[in-house]
Amino acid sequence: MGEPCRLRVRYVKDGRLAYLGHLEVMNTIMRCVRRSGLPFEVGNGFARRMRIQFSQALPVGAASVGEYYDLMLPYPIDVTQALDRLREASPAALRPNACKLLPRKVPALEAWVDVSRWDVVVQADGVDANGFSRGLDQVVEQGEIAYMRGPKLRRIPVLPSLMSCHATDVADGVALTMETRATEAGSLRPAVLVQAVLGTSPLRVCWVGQWHEQADGSRIDPMGYC
Amino acid sequence: MRFARRNCFEQIEPLLGRVEHPSRYLNHEWGAQEQQDGPFHVCLLYADVYEVGQPNLGLSILYNEVNAQEGMSCERAYLPWVDMSALMRERDIPLLSLETSSPVASFDLVGITLAHELVCTNIVETLDLAQITIRAEEREQDEPIVIAGGPSVWNCEPVAPMFDAVLLGDGEGALVEIAACVRDARAQDVPRHELLMRLSRIAGVYVPSLYEIVCDETSTRWGYAVPKPGSGAPEVVYKRCVESLARTEPVAQRIVPYMGVVQDRFALEILRGCARACRFCQAGMTYRPVRERPKDQIVEAVERGLCESGFDECSLSSLSTTDHSQCAPILRELGERLDDRGVRVSIPSQRLDSFGVDMASIVGSSRKAGLTFAPEAGTQRLRDVINKNVTDEDLDRAAQNAFACGYRRMKLYFMMGLPTEDDNDVEGISSTATHVVELGREQLGPRSKVSVSISVAVFVPKSHTPFQWAGQLPLEEVHRRQQLMLHAATNRAVRISYHDAETSQIEGVLSKMGRRGFDLVMEAWRCGCRFDAWTDQFSFERWQQAAQAVGIDLEDVACESFPLDARLPWDHTSPGVSKGYLQREWRRAMRQETTHDCTRDTCVGCGVCPTLDVGNDLAETRA
Repeated sequence: MGEPCRLRVRYVKDGRLAYLGHLEVMNTIMRCVRRSGLPFEVGNGFARRMRIQFSQALPVGAASVGEYYDLMLPYPIDVTQALDRLREASPAALRPNACKLLPRKVPALEAWVDVSRWDVVVQADGVDANGFSRGLDQVVEQGEIAYMRGPKLRRIPVLPSLMSCHATDVADGVALTMETRATEAGSLRPAVLVQAVLGTSPLRVCWVGQWHEQADGSRIDPMGYC
Repeated sequence: MRFARRNCFEQIEPLLGRVEHPSRYLNHEWGAQEQQDGPFHVCLLYADVYEVGQPNLGLSILYNEVNAQEGMSCERAYLPWVDMSALMRERDIPLLSLETSSPVASFDLVGITLAHELVCTNIVETLDLAQITIRAEEREQDEPIVIAGGPSVWNCEPVAPMFDAVLLGDGEGALVEIAACVRDARAQDVPRHELLMRLSRIAGVYVPSLYEIVCDETSTRWGYAVPKPGSGAPEVVYKRCVESLARTEPVAQRIVPYMGVVQDRFALEILRGCARACRFCQAGMTYRPVRERPKDQIVEAVERGLCESGFDECSLSSLSTTDHSQCAPILRELGERLDDRGVRVSIPSQRLDSFGVDMASIVGSSRKAGLTFAPEAGTQRLRDVINKNVTDEDLDRAAQNAFACGYRRMKLYFMMGLPTEDDNDVEGISSTATHVVELGREQLGPRSKVSVSISVAVFVPKSHTPFQWAGQLPLEEVHRRQQLMLHAATNRAVRISYHDAETSQIEGVLSKMGRRGFDLVMEAWRCGCRFDAWTDQFSFERWQQAAQAVGIDLEDVACESFPLDARLPWDHTSPGVSKGYLQREWRRAMRQETTHDCTRDTCVGCGVCPTLDVGNDLAETRA
């Protein structure tokens, strides 16, 4: 049968399902796995849940071209067949597009993935790419962003959380390509940055890339992990 | 006005980022019927938010059944939460269905669940948001036909003016028949009134507009309903009743929600009806006779349902699951088959005896979270009055068995204000809980962490029960008895919670009133009442304001008891249980005489079987 291992799965989150919260996505994926009929390990805790690990939470309303989860398998399985079965058992807007077997002992996804790239579109009266960039400079100069998350006041330093942000004018507003880094103080969400710069919410947010950054600055894609 | 059928999702999409739980409005769940070609379109509507309405098993059954019909499509709709409703009104967006985001007012037939009394203002809100004319009699020819059904149809008079028709009893087969009748009448361009007369000829269908309310010396102040001359409507409409549950499809729940819903698990109805005959229980009277699914069907359906849905928990649903004649073998076989898959099996209600604990232990395996029982009353005398058929010894044995099986926490449900209740019975609630704690400590040691929580509801007399003639306690008296109960509970291991007396009074009022009660419902809605079953939304002050505006004294209505021979506002609708039986049961209650369960003993003469030409349908003889 082989040694217990993990199946790393990359999936999209788009369309109207971008409005699912992280907990809703997790529950939905666990149900997809059960429907697929793939083998999985069950924890020994009180609730005996499926053993599965997810990458960082995506904000409600944000789409993603590549989210990840690791399913703990009791033995290795054929990955092509596994992908087919998971795709058949998943809603189109959460459909897996790649999977790979990994050894059991690899770092947990949530902490390991620390660099993200986002495509964001914002719309605000009279604001173009240059205007956004000027506003961004002011926010960077302030050093940190204070914002409310539910009833709680949170603060996050702009640097080094924000690695880069390029604004260009597009037909329906200003397109931003930004890269962020998860730090001990937390992760900078695009909506928080846009709110701080423009005082409005972004029109669209899409997570277009996630990596682990090594000490020398090189990046490893979660599916490229060996 | 009938709305055009078109997909309006683009109208609500920009609002999703601005409301709580946008997943309420997304649709596209696994198992939802995306193809909605019709051409006859039905919308099933639950007048509460998605997470409350979606798990409703009755709606799932009907959704599947209508969608399986050639030429018929069925969608779902729920009442948006107050944040979304406000945004929709601001932008003049009508209430939309989930599957195709079409205006609810564009459907041919709209079916609304009467889940409980407190949903009444939500129904007004739903129709208003949908921009469907609220009063059925004022609806235009081309507007949707709006019908109701569900567990709370048994005194539907206070909401009856909103419905073109009300289906009494089991919906299987009946909804399709109603839909076909509406479809054919529409194809023939039949006037609305004639269409309603045709509906009234379908078994189990009550058409309120074909009845007039008569108030005389034989009735209560709410009068009684009689067919209008020439309407051809029956004097009494009897409920629809499925003869054999085993012959219906067991897997009803095919839609897997994205968001956490109130019962977030795969539910399978293993039996319908309960013959224990608790005298306060409306479901026990209105869902008769008892019909069981056989063990093999249940086990196969649970495995199939879990496999198709991906749920990790299964609930064996019914009014009294541990009464199933094959309960033990079902639970053992499911345990064997599901044990290694991390799937939990739950049973919603445990019988208050040793057997109930044994069954809970089978499904709970190593998990000993806690057990829930419903003694309902604090003394043997009062339990005999309500026909609970549970003795002090049963309770002791159940508690001892539970502690021996490793359970440390127990929850007990009681009711306050039951007919004939006195202070001794109220103090008995606290002393029963204390006694259970003591039993636990005797068994597990004086310092063991045993705890007992008790939850105490206020009795609401319901139609078609032996207690339908009783009045409710005045608010002041409920408050006094609640304090008495609190002071009688001196053991710190006993935790007490009790229902809000004011909310129960509104339930009592809505359970008692006749058709004139609709004025109160409308006025309450105008005063801002919505989501009355949500404690953070309920406002007794607004209900009082509404009652004052329409000249009703809430306490006076709720506390009024009716003479045993009076004609009641709901006498023209019947679940098959005879009024003579209910009167007999009332008299027996007053003499503290109990009545046995007819699935374990001889017939008790309730009248259901001969009236509806059905009978108890058990998989095996009950022990």
